[in-house]
Amino acid sequence: MKKLHFTYEMQIDYSSQVNSCNFTIKCIPADTLRQKIDNIKINMYPETDYQWGKDGFKNLQIWGKEDKPHKSFRFRIEGDAQTGLSEFEECEDTDLSMVFSCPHGLNKAGETIRNFFDKKINNIDACTYDKVIAVTKLLFEAFKYQSGSTNVNTTAEEAFSQGCGVCQDYSHILIALLHLLGITARYVTGFIIGEGESHAWVEFLDDGKWYGIDPTNNTPVNDDYIKIGHGRDARDCTINRGIMQGGGLHTQTVSVNVREA
Amino acid sequence: MNHLELLEHTDTVNELLARYGVKFGIYKNNTFKEQLFPFDAIPRIIEADEYAYLEKGLKQRVLALNMFLKDIYSKKQIVKDGVIPKDFIFASSGYMAECEGVVPPKDIYSHISGIDLVKGKDNVWYILEDNLRVPSGASYPMIARELCRRSSPGTFTDLKIEDNRNYAKLLKRTFDNVNTGGLNVILTPGRYNAAYFEHSFLAEQTGAQLVNGSELTVKDDMLYFVTADGKYEKVGAVYRRISDEYLDPMNFNPESLIGIPHIYDVFKKGNVALLNAPGNGVADDKGIYYFVPKMIKYYLGEEPVLSNAPTYLPFYEDDMKYVLDNFDNLVLKDVAEAGGYGVVFGNKMTAQQKEDFIALLKAEPRRFIAQEVIDFQDLDILEDGKPVPRKADLRAFVLMADEPLVWKSGLTRFSRNPDSFIVNSSQGGGFKDTWVLSQ
Repeated sequence: MKKLHFTYEMQIDYSSQVNSCNFTIKCIPADTLRQKIDNIKINMYPETDYQWGKDGFKNLQIWGKEDKPHKSFRFRIEGDAQTGLSEFEECEDTDLSMVFSCPHGLNKAGETIRNFFDKKINNIDACTYDKVIAVTKLLFEAFKYQSGSTNVNTTAEEAFSQGCGVCQDYSHILIALLHLLGITARYVTGFIIGEGESHAWVEFLDDGKWYGIDPTNNTPVNDDYIKIGHGRDARDCTINRGIMQGGGLHTQTVSVNVREA
Repeated sequence: MNHLELLEHTDTVNELLARYGVKFGIYKNNTFKEQLFPFDAIPRIIEADEYAYLEKGLKQRVLALNMFLKDIYSKKQIVKDGVIPKDFIFASSGYMAECEGVVPPKDIYSHISGIDLVKGKDNVWYILEDNLRVPSGASYPMIARELCRRSSPGTFTDLKIEDNRNYAKLLKRTFDNVNTGGLNVILTPGRYNAAYFEHSFLAEQTGAQLVNGSELTVKDDMLYFVTADGKYEKVGAVYRRISDEYLDPMNFNPESLIGIPHIYDVFKKGNVALLNAPGNGVADDKGIYYFVPKMIKYYLGEEPVLSNAPTYLPFYEDDMKYVLDNFDNLVLKDVAEAGGYGVVFGNKMTAQQKEDFIALLKAEPRRFIAQEVIDFQDLDILEDGKPVPRKADLRAFVLMADEPLVWKSGLTRFSRNPDSFIVNSSQGGGFKDTWVLSQ
């Protein structure tokens, strides 16, 4: 168990004035069996009112409309998290786990992934948990981390065919492989101890429990991880969505800081 | 026939329809095509007792489909109980995870349903397709009836025909039933949309405000209509004539320019009704069609009154075998396509086409359904003043208000091509009025 303090900050700078913008922000960690969140503080610049809501997968989100003219939009969330309170998350909502058992969007397997599956994975004989550990290791060995080699719309199959990618791609490919094994799996976004950006990993269902596994680092999820939310693929978990009037070109900077409290 | 006089007015009625802008528009491959929707003056006539039977079956079907939608976006009991395989739900492009756990006002998902039927040569009515998203077409027989009454008033005093001009009343009742407090509005993609005629006509007839996306705005967690002089009026119900994807760029397709940002968030809070609710595509998918009779038994504990056309799912091994053995007698449909696209007849393929198709079928069995070709009844249409037989179907409209209401009329569409079974207006067909006799 660890006590962590996290800060997520996102800033968008525009080349010309934005007259108004709509936003939906989905990066607010919630309490689960694994983690307990306290002292959440949300700051937005320019200051604006927002509404709380949940998406289809019950992830927390805030949404609203900023109608003061602005040239930059900043969003900052910080809070404390106790992590590693449990090895797993209870599968409380068995209804939705069904959704995570079907290939969807960016996590669909294609020929390359299927060939890899047939050659290396199909014949693994072990219990579900050990199978996932073994598949993750095989993927880790077969795939290289290379930042900037893929984009937000890259599919599991495209990434695997080119042999390299980032945490999003590792996660999509692992989900595709687990689906081929008949294992229910979902995409998770969150923070990991240290500085940098947000992270992605995978949760799989075993005997009514969701276990976390991080294919990018080839390790089960431990108390260094704070979960934001989950979905079928990265598109379900887009942290920031916005539409603006005006604004011209924009640059987005994200910084995440997680340290022991 | 007492309506011979009416036939002489065919040209006049068509000219008036053209003047009113009664056209039919479709998007395909990102291009917009608009065409006149030719009217044929020989009506389809349905006897009172026959229509009573259809009404019973249609109500039953739409009730079950609504229960199915509620179940899918909450407990999913029908999948857990093994009645429908999960692949047919969650891999369907019509399934929208955004709708999970969202409860529309009064649990109604499909307020306006367009159910397509045909009458076989065996005198049996078969359901061809359910349209639960944004089914259009009710205004065509309404306006045609109005124009026919004007050009041939005698016809309508001699015959006991159900007045179909009550559609607006039914629609208003449907609106008011789910309105959360505020205006009823009809949301149109705009005046360049060829169905604009229908949108403005229905708004005028129901007393709803006709609006486009830029006239609606979300403030806090409510939806408002912004009047020309800048006043905000609260909206309680939106009959939206744009598809799910374009409805809300913050929740669905982010590229949409015609939608209203956050309208779905307001809906989720129960602060506005959307007719029809988003997410209905999971229930009118051609793959799900196969399961509708099973749904009726499952949810209502009743035998279906109306039959489906005999349908096979290559997804099931036995059905695949049947499809391969009887390929030439079947029509094959791509479940993802609509409007008469993605429909192929086994006996019309060349050997090479057949080979390619079967390879595709084996690779993606879930993508297709196969149906027996129903030899459906011809209706006479006038061509150069002479009656000739053509294939025709019927789109019946079922409205879900405080109870299901079946409109006593419908859109009869026909194929102008003598060899074609495809009657969709997007494929160049025409339409007839549908007369339901009142005794």
